[in-house]
Amino acid sequence: MNTKKLIKDAKARFNHNSSKNYLRDKYKSKLIFAYGGGLWTSSPELISMLSNYPREALVLIDNHDNPLLVGREKLLENAINVYESVMQEYLLEYTELQNKR
Amino acid sequence: MSKGVLLFAFNIEKVNYYEMAVCCAKRINHFLNLPVTIVTDNESLPVNSTYQFDNVIIADSDSSNRKQKDIWKNKGRYRAYELTPYDETLLLDTDYLVNSDQLNKLFELYDDFMCAHKISFLMSPHDEKEYISNYSFDTLWATVIIFRKSIRAQQIFECLKMVQLNYSHYAKIYQFSEAMFRNDYALTIALRIVNGQTFDKKDYMPWRLVHLGKETIAYRINDTDMNTEYMLMTTDKKEKSTYTIIKDTDFHCMSKGNFMELVDE
Repeated sequence: MNTKKLIKDAKARFNHNSSKNYLRDKYKSKLIFAYGGGLWTSSPELISMLSNYPREALVLIDNHDNPLLVGREKLLENAINVYESVMQEYLLEYTELQNKR
Repeated sequence: MSKGVLLFAFNIEKVNYYEMAVCCAKRINHFLNLPVTIVTDNESLPVNSTYQFDNVIIADSDSSNRKQKDIWKNKGRYRAYELTPYDETLLLDTDYLVNSDQLNKLFELYDDFMCAHKISFLMSPHDEKEYISNYSFDTLWATVIIFRKSIRAQQIFECLKMVQLNYSHYAKIYQFSEAMFRNDYALTIALRIVNGQTFDKKDYMPWRLVHLGKETIAYRINDTDMNTEYMLMTTDKKEKSTYTIIKDTDFHCMSKGNFMELVDE
């Protein structure tokens, strides 16, 4: 498939919004992880909350709206690991896509 | 605990679902490293096939459903529970294009049953959710289902059978057209019944089921066997074409013709 020719023939424009939405959805799903019997989405808010909480054990509401008693350090470690790897990948694909269009 | 994928494929005059299932299964083997069992009928089974499924289960097909005047053999999905040879089963539509190992993550995330709830259309972010009717709730999607052998999963599939057998009755209650049987609607109703007319977030996949809309055409970017990069093109009402590029993303390809173009070797 000669995609360059196809784009030229169809006089198609690169759709920025579609690309952004697609990448956002794709990487949002990768931020989800399981821990301690619950489902979590790694986010700056979760990481910040866990980093600043003064005690080791705490109760948090997971993605399924269930309260769960979790270990702060272990959940934080998981959240940071997921966040770092997924966001790096996100940036890489975003940059790649900008160069490809 | 055994894990595997189950595909239902009953050919109709215009669509060779068995062939689609073979293409789908090859990608499942490659990206998910899982065995695939096919449920099919004698008419769909080819005389010679180079692809070896983990199991081939012959079942009776039901020709009583119609889609745009053509026969559509999509009934009987409720038999997935009794027919699956696996303890944990991923039940997929044959037109679901696997391009990554994302579905493997579902095995870590579900309890005993999970299906698709939220959706998104590639290149059509404003497409609305589908509701069973104007007076009821949004539909779930039977395109991707995961379940383990358990009492609750068994109840869901038994209920799915009841809904299929009494589809006309439920169509009247929920006020949708009974002309065409849809597994998505039957699943939505069955799950609500099992959950006591409420819903449980745990039953829903935590990410959106991605559809390739009928207005969007996908093209392979390269011709390698397991290509995962596609250019998507759509043309709006003013005949302006736009495109984008996606990679390593699983999606439901509603156009069967387009699906075969994407997987043809």
